[in-house]
Amino acid sequence: MNIRACSKGMDEMLVALFLFWIPVAMVPLGLWYSMSSPLKNASSRGRLFAFTGVVLICISPWTVPSSPSTAAGHLLGAIIGPCMLILLGIYLISFSGNVPVGKLPRSDRKLGVLMTGFGFIWLAGMHWWILTPQLSPNEVNHYWFVFWPTFIILTSCLASCSAVTLLMIGEQRKAESNAMFIVSGLSFSILILGLNVDGPLITADEFREHLWLAVADLAGITVGTLLSIFVFALVIYSYERSLPAPKSISPPTESELKQVSTLIASHLGGEDE
Amino acid sequence: MKESNLTFTWRMMLLAFLLPPLLILAIDITFYGSFKGIDSNVSFTRFSNATLTAYMLCSLFLLGNLFFYGESRNRPLAPLVGMFFATALGVVATVFFIGQGPMLLEDNGSVRAQAIYNVVHMFVSSGAILVAMGVALGVTFSAITSQKQRNNFELEEE
Repeated sequence: MNIRACSKGMDEMLVALFLFWIPVAMVPLGLWYSMSSPLKNASSRGRLFAFTGVVLICISPWTVPSSPSTAAGHLLGAIIGPCMLILLGIYLISFSGNVPVGKLPRSDRKLGVLMTGFGFIWLAGMHWWILTPQLSPNEVNHYWFVFWPTFIILTSCLASCSAVTLLMIGEQRKAESNAMFIVSGLSFSILILGLNVDGPLITADEFREHLWLAVADLAGITVGTLLSIFVFALVIYSYERSLPAPKSISPPTESELKQVSTLIASHLGGEDE
Repeated sequence: MKESNLTFTWRMMLLAFLLPPLLILAIDITFYGSFKGIDSNVSFTRFSNATLTAYMLCSLFLLGNLFFYGESRNRPLAPLVGMFFATALGVVATVFFIGQGPMLLEDNGSVRAQAIYNVVHMFVSSGAILVAMGVALGVTFSAITSQKQRNNFELEEE
């Protein structure tokens, strides 16, 4: 990754602003609008706004080829298919089981398993086959080296944590815990394979280097996020502490107590069983 | 028949979470005798950039949330100003530390290029984190719903 010092004209920066950064902002704004606005049709309008943002980000490598940041848009376009397959597949598997509401037909379970499996195979094909996201022939999208190790190692860590949590908190959850250990083990196997087997464009050594950078990234994100939450809590705490104590009100009078006891008495009791 | 549960401890949870990277380290030490592929300088640079960027972006998000907090408090200005300064401190610290030279400057030529790269990098990492969380939570949920329906009365009787 080599973003050179900015010696470009204003026009290119404006193009990047309008065709990459504004679409990036459109996604959270659209989602926020769809969820929070009380207006009629706000939900569909917000979602359409966010979807337009996603499409504009995906086509940004062609609309703003001069900006290196648009490689992230290229990656989004490459991974959105397998990721949606995996997540939709898991949704189908979950809701075709024993759920009290929104139950799907039992046959959706097989479809879900197929979709999830195909999504993972597609992602693995990006590492070990010809599907690797490339900005130009034989030039791997550098953000793929960020996404893939982070996704695989975090999936393995979270699945392992979930398995142990099910054993510790859940009642008779050994079967579910074993399923989570299998998911963790599968992700871990992909990691071990990546560390030892070269792909056509990605060597094992490159993957190893980026895996530890992903770990450093995850640690940094955790520290930064916790720090900002701590500062946020500190700001709220300082403000709340500076407020004067609320005024205490006078105790209820005799007539008020009488009225309350009458009201309570009228609501007590019930039919005999 | 009731299975015996493990005792809940945060240490156990943390260990379970850290198990995969620790296993890789153990395998590396066993087979290669060292931490292969770890360049401490590059890793530190990435860690610092990720910390600063995560702090900055998360503070911005929380600053937005303060508006909702203000709704129930007659929109006080003090916490808003406090959080604004905390966010601004993050931005200034990021620019300052990147500007110190090669310490936080990765393969980029200027402070602005590095700052923009950090933000885009954070988006990609956050995307990976969200998908991984979706997969882990989704598979846990589907593992639970795929089991036979339980009779709550049987559990209560035990």
